[in-house]
Amino acid sequence: MKKSILIPCLLWLVGCMPSPPMTVKPESGEQVVGDRLTVTLDGSWNHIYVPGQTADHWTIEGLPIDDLQIYSGIKDGQAIHPVVRGSSATPIVFHSTMQPDEIVSLFEGMLTRDGSTFQLVKSEPATFGGAKGYHFEFKVVRKVDSVELSGVGYGAVSNGELFSIVYVAPRMTFFGRYRDRVENIARGVRIKGAT
Amino acid sequence: MNRRGFLAFGCACGALLRPGLSRGDEAEWKPPPRFTRPDVASDEGGLWAMMDREETRLRRSPFRVKDRDLNEYVQGIACRLGGEHCPDIRVYLVRTPWFNANMAPNGMMQVWSGLMLRADNEAQLAAVLGHEIGHYVARHSVDQLRDAKSRSAFASVLGVIPVVGPLGGLGVLGAGFSYTRDHEREADRIGVMLMRKAGYDTAEASKVWSNLLLELEARPGGNPSKNGFFASHPPAEERQAALKALAEAMPGGATNAGMWREKTKAFRREWLEDEVKRGQREESVALLTRKIAAEPDQPDYLYFRGEAYRLRAAEGDYAAALVDYQAAALNAGAPPELWRGMGTVHRARHEIPEARASYRSYLDAAPKAPDAPMIKSYLEELGQ
Repeated sequence: MKKSILIPCLLWLVGCMPSPPMTVKPESGEQVVGDRLTVTLDGSWNHIYVPGQTADHWTIEGLPIDDLQIYSGIKDGQAIHPVVRGSSATPIVFHSTMQPDEIVSLFEGMLTRDGSTFQLVKSEPATFGGAKGYHFEFKVVRKVDSVELSGVGYGAVSNGELFSIVYVAPRMTFFGRYRDRVENIARGVRIKGAT
Repeated sequence: MNRRGFLAFGCACGALLRPGLSRGDEAEWKPPPRFTRPDVASDEGGLWAMMDREETRLRRSPFRVKDRDLNEYVQGIACRLGGEHCPDIRVYLVRTPWFNANMAPNGMMQVWSGLMLRADNEAQLAAVLGHEIGHYVARHSVDQLRDAKSRSAFASVLGVIPVVGPLGGLGVLGAGFSYTRDHEREADRIGVMLMRKAGYDTAEASKVWSNLLLELEARPGGNPSKNGFFASHPPAEERQAALKALAEAMPGGATNAGMWREKTKAFRREWLEDEVKRGQREESVALLTRKIAAEPDQPDYLYFRGEAYRLRAAEGDYAAALVDYQAAALNAGAPPELWRGMGTVHRARHEIPEARASYRSYLDAAPKAPDAPMIKSYLEELGQ
């Protein structure tokens, strides 16, 4: 009996077992993400839980269409995306000393790793979760399907940890449809112990 | 003799012993006549039909570099190499920052911007295009298809191609034509012959691989043989040596470096920006160091190497970045973003007056930059 549990656990640890499937759960209202970040969802969103992801993913229409990424408590030296074992790609790593424009560049790097194009539309200081932070807007052409996306991001560094939300959706129809909801969510974010 | 030298020597000897390498054989080699469209009911016809659909998608892709002048120029190079096959070759330039080109059996050829960025002259691009045309005229993709069928793995080959759209976009297409190492060697040999016939300096073909090798060796770990690219391709060292031997048998020809620089200069900054965004700092530094050695006063190369150093931020990188930014700033036409990069480095080094001055220079040079409000806020924090 012990062996039957131990062997799959060991296989899991060495990466020989397939990842558990992602789960989708409709949610609304107040949600706690990580240890210190609380968001209040505007309307009903689907929470996509994929084990090993650095960000929480939420969507209204489904992930190929719109994607609200919530990063909570990314630590100094931590990659902002899952690191694939054996990959030669250099991870995109957050450092607590980074200035806001450098953090925006991190997200830009993440969104363009597959050859997608990124155009910064605006980047400015903003308050996020009670901390001094940043707001940025951008356009992306996604490599995988050539879809033109628009995006918006907010974030702040608090006690050396990164908190951020990034929303992307197709420029036609969807981004405009949900942008207000995302901005309401960003305005309502609370970071425990924000400085 | 070290491992690399031994390999290179061995491969060069091997290449010289291979049939079809002498000047005499070059004269004997005749490209096949133009291909006719295969019957749609045949396996090859099915492959062409799929490639036709992919070509329709590619034609509409926002990643296509649509500049007419550059397209006509590269199409002209492919035509000179393709000779009689010219009317069947359709070149598509694609904004993708990796080193690659590929050609489908229906005559559709993709050339990625990462390859164009890396080519130092027209002859180097011609070497890669000639290689792809080599696969095409030798019908390697059809060989691969039939070989896969005979091994009951037909679905695994065709399975790659229909999902090009949803899965990997243009990048996956290359994987659909994963040739054997023998195919690659034959395509190299045909490519050099086509280069020579078109009047290019065949010595440039081996330089393509020695340049690529420099980047692969710069990677952490630095072992090019571990690169997935070489699973189907002969190792870069072998290729470089074999191509060098071929070039020695067919010397002479033009590089057209000046023309190449002129035709691509309008795209250089965009391609360099894409290169740095790949996040492969060591490779970018190796590439840009090579480019700077050839054009020491080109501010774009200096600025983007400075960016690669700043983003890598290893020991000594901030100092190296500042040296590059300062050298770039001395040249006319330098990107205004170099001042922002300098500001970031100075701020990280707690050199506040220098950071302030750099940020001010950035705002003076690019007052309407999308991040100008952010930079203004930095100046407020640092004290005007």
